[in-house]
Amino acid sequence: MTAPTMTSRSPTSTQRSSPRSLSTARSTSSTSTAAAAPAEDLKSFDAEFVKVDRATLFDLILAANYLNIKGLLDLTCQTVADMIKDNTPEEIRKIFNIKNDFTPEEEAEVRKENQWAFE
Amino acid sequence: MSFRSMVREMKGEVDAIARRRPLPSARGVRRVAAVATEEEAARQGCCWAELPPELLREVLARVEASEPRWPRRRDVVACAGVCRTWRGVVREIVRVPEVSGRLTFPISLKQPGPRDAPIKCFIRRHRATQTYFLYIGLTDALADTGKFLFAARKYHRPTCTEYLISLDKTDMSKGSQTCVGKLRSNFLRTKFTVYDAHPPHAGPVVSKRWPAGDYPVIQINYEVNVLGSRGPRRMNCIMESIPVSAIEQGGTAPTQTAFPFFNPKSSRMDSSITPLSSQVESKLVLKNKSPRWHEHLRCWCLNFHGRVTVASVKNFQLVASDESAPANEENDDTTLQFGKIGKDLFTLDYRYPVSAFQAFAICLSSFDTKLARE
Repeated sequence: MTAPTMTSRSPTSTQRSSPRSLSTARSTSSTSTAAAAPAEDLKSFDAEFVKVDRATLFDLILAANYLNIKGLLDLTCQTVADMIKDNTPEEIRKIFNIKNDFTPEEEAEVRKENQWAFE
Repeated sequence: MSFRSMVREMKGEVDAIARRRPLPSARGVRRVAAVATEEEAARQGCCWAELPPELLREVLARVEASEPRWPRRRDVVACAGVCRTWRGVVREIVRVPEVSGRLTFPISLKQPGPRDAPIKCFIRRHRATQTYFLYIGLTDALADTGKFLFAARKYHRPTCTEYLISLDKTDMSKGSQTCVGKLRSNFLRTKFTVYDAHPPHAGPVVSKRWPAGDYPVIQINYEVNVLGSRGPRRMNCIMESIPVSAIEQGGTAPTQTAFPFFNPKSSRMDSSITPLSSQVESKLVLKNKSPRWHEHLRCWCLNFHGRVTVASVKNFQLVASDESAPANEENDDTTLQFGKIGKDLFTLDYRYPVSAFQAFAICLSSFDTKLARE
């Protein structure tokens, strides 16, 4: 597999996650010599593959984007999307350590929206 | 070498030293381990704020696409409340109901419905408290637990009745910040005016006659037909804020983008509101489809496509027509449909160019008009 032209940032995270990413690419792309793995096996492989801590998951997303591995990017982005679901804005901020940077007026707007949405 | 492996090595060395001889202060060892653990925990979350915008969009687009229906759709609203960056991305991804067929933020209740399949809602009436609640269905059933959209309370005044419409089911009082509009009848309860608390058009106030926060947007008229109370009544709705061009090829209806009373400094409505000059255009008029007399069943019938199951004089279907031309009731698609399905339970289906707020207000008039006989 040839590496694409380097255009994305954070090569460090790519270096950390590249071996894991490349092994995934090999196992899922080598169809020329072996039969395709059953869908269920691939699904459980994917589920196990993303059972990592959030920092590694972050690195995997960047690596998948940098190496242009669509399947891995889809898998990791969907994993993060699943982590977001069923949480309030404050809970999401805690999970991802994101700062609340709304002005007081924006915060009031957000609070009213969520009060209605969670009604 | 990764940060994690460095921490592991450091901890291993500290443990090895501790095993060889007891340390004068075990607290010092615990403090080093605690700092390492805290740093590790911080690292778990610290980088997500730096996720490149295109990747954040990938993630949030997946949340939006996977939750088309309520109650899970609230996850999209939650994402828009995390921080400014997330809010900007979510608001770019979420499309208006006219295009997506989905209700997301509260403002989508003031935006025109979808052009194809209608949005299916239902109304619960509470006679004891004279309150009405609009819900969107969670399933394809006629009514279920539903997701709350609007609440309205009826107030009796000396010369009219008024319904205040609110986004808060516990607060339907005048002057409330969550009040989005009202319906007011004339003395005879044959004519109604729907007022929007939010200006439907950009630019200066249309007329200085209207108090701040009271913009008339619909005039509703009820008439008996030639058969009097034995026949179905006639109703028409003059949509003051929607031009006839909205239902023509390539036409658009006014689309509000923010509630100013949620954030008085927010004024994100200018670019998508019909400019003042178009108000001289003909206004859209909605007229009710005339039912047909069914000789065998001996009753007036309309095809509600299974969405209305109990006969009632309140039931109606409105179609959009040009005021200057009679409605072609055979071929026009129904814009708004309302009807009874049980005790104090009614379905409400609406489409472009009508919004949920307008549809709800029109249906409230059906409850109130003096021409109602059950």
